[in-house]
Amino acid sequence: MTDTAAASSPALSSGTAGSAAWRTSAAQAALILVLLGLWEIAGRTLFNPFWSSRPSLIAERIWRLALSGELWTHCSITLQEAGAGLLLGAVVGVPLGIALARAPRVAKVVEPVVMGLYGLPRVALAPLFILWFGIGLMSKIMMAFTMVVFIFMLNVMEGIRTIDPDHLDLMRSMRAGRFYLARKVLLPAVTPWILASFRIGVGLSLIGAVVGELIGANRGLGWYVEKSGGQLDTTGVFTGLVVLMILAMLANQLIGFVERRAIRWR
Amino acid sequence: MAMSQLAEKPMPAPTPEPRVRVENLRIAFPRPDAPPLEVLSGISLDVADGEFVAVVGPSGSGKSTILRAICGLLKPAGGEVRVDGRPVSDPPPEVGFMFQKDALLPWLTVTQNIRVGAELSGMSKAEQETRIPALIRLLRLDGFEDAYPKQLSGGMRQRASLGRLLAYNPSLMLMDEPFGALDYQTKIVMGRELLRIWEAERRAIIFVTHDIEEAVALADRVVVFSARPARIVADYRVDLPRPRDLRAMRGDPAFVHLTESIWSDLALPA
Repeated sequence: MTDTAAASSPALSSGTAGSAAWRTSAAQAALILVLLGLWEIAGRTLFNPFWSSRPSLIAERIWRLALSGELWTHCSITLQEAGAGLLLGAVVGVPLGIALARAPRVAKVVEPVVMGLYGLPRVALAPLFILWFGIGLMSKIMMAFTMVVFIFMLNVMEGIRTIDPDHLDLMRSMRAGRFYLARKVLLPAVTPWILASFRIGVGLSLIGAVVGELIGANRGLGWYVEKSGGQLDTTGVFTGLVVLMILAMLANQLIGFVERRAIRWR
Repeated sequence: MAMSQLAEKPMPAPTPEPRVRVENLRIAFPRPDAPPLEVLSGISLDVADGEFVAVVGPSGSGKSTILRAICGLLKPAGGEVRVDGRPVSDPPPEVGFMFQKDALLPWLTVTQNIRVGAELSGMSKAEQETRIPALIRLLRLDGFEDAYPKQLSGGMRQRASLGRLLAYNPSLMLMDEPFGALDYQTKIVMGRELLRIWEAERRAIIFVTHDIEEAVALADRVVVFSARPARIVADYRVDLPRPRDLRAMRGDPAFVHLTESIWSDLALPA
């Protein structure tokens, strides 16, 4: 019947989907190479590399920092700050989002406050956080945390709001307990929203950590950028930025991988 | 009227109360800037044990609403619903609900979705190991045990949903246009499978549909609702022999006569 035809089509299409994905990756890599090439040529012919540096100079700098071990030190510091802030944001934001979605009246009361804090340019909190938490890890973790916590909270609230009411009625009609409902419906329904929050949060938590380092630190990629800028070392500034970009891209890949495994049902 | 019909039918074990007794049920939905929308105005309906009752009526007439009230998912504005003699407030344990949309959990496979019904019925792990594969075979879902709902056709999804309901093993099944979204052929196939299962086990079923022929073909009794606010305008006993042949039956004069009178009850042009 039509049943079997419908079910076999996904298997057929996966072959062509695979090669299309490969072609996309190849095009992505080509685009990056072309942009780097243009930059290199412009840096050699149009502009003085003092202002905009050159990919070859940046690559050389990265290599030198890697050999001296400095690259690893700065990366690991910034990653620790951003990672801890991101996890803390999830640990606090997800339960808050669930709680507010389950208590709509409370949510109405706190909504203006939450939206006010969410709209605040939290980057401006950095000097205050340095004052409160010192120039060590803690102030940067808190910066990263404030950047991402609302993302988790608002996404999870929205995720719970979009749960199919039939699924809730179904569970009620079969007298499912709270724990069973959470395990079979609430958590699986919000998982894609939590993963999407991580995806958005990776970049934001890095911004939080780097802003903290720009204002007050003695280590980390943000500090390296700030220090290089102070010495008019544009290659150093771009090196810090390129490394940050690579870290964000790798983290995104990791989350994409987790997403594909965790939500195969989509 | 309902009582006299019960008296006609020889009951295996006469009980003082029917499986379901709906008495003078009134349901109204509150609206923001208007008086409450009255959906059911004083419906009374009894369903006997093992009886297959179909409810037909114009769309928006509150057919689904009465099922939700019997299941305890909706609070009545007046009147009472009793299942097995007990007033309904929360969903009663003997009642199972099947939705128009399949309501399969998209993150669970066919087997896992059916297992939800088994787990919530309190079935032991050992029994699940034999019962779930048996249901999958009964519903002809073999080969799709580990498929996710999005990989299935509409008919297969609805069969998986029926599998979950049967795994829950309710003695009273409430079915809200369960085959309404299916194409004609699949609908006939599903109706035949439902009858096969019902004729073997004789659970009480209340089956809501907008398809008059489907109602007459499947049920012992067809209850006709008016437009909103709904009243019962007619209550027919379907005396067609069982087991029924859904195809041959369509030419039967009794079948044609009955569907014709339901059409005219609904005041629709022939």
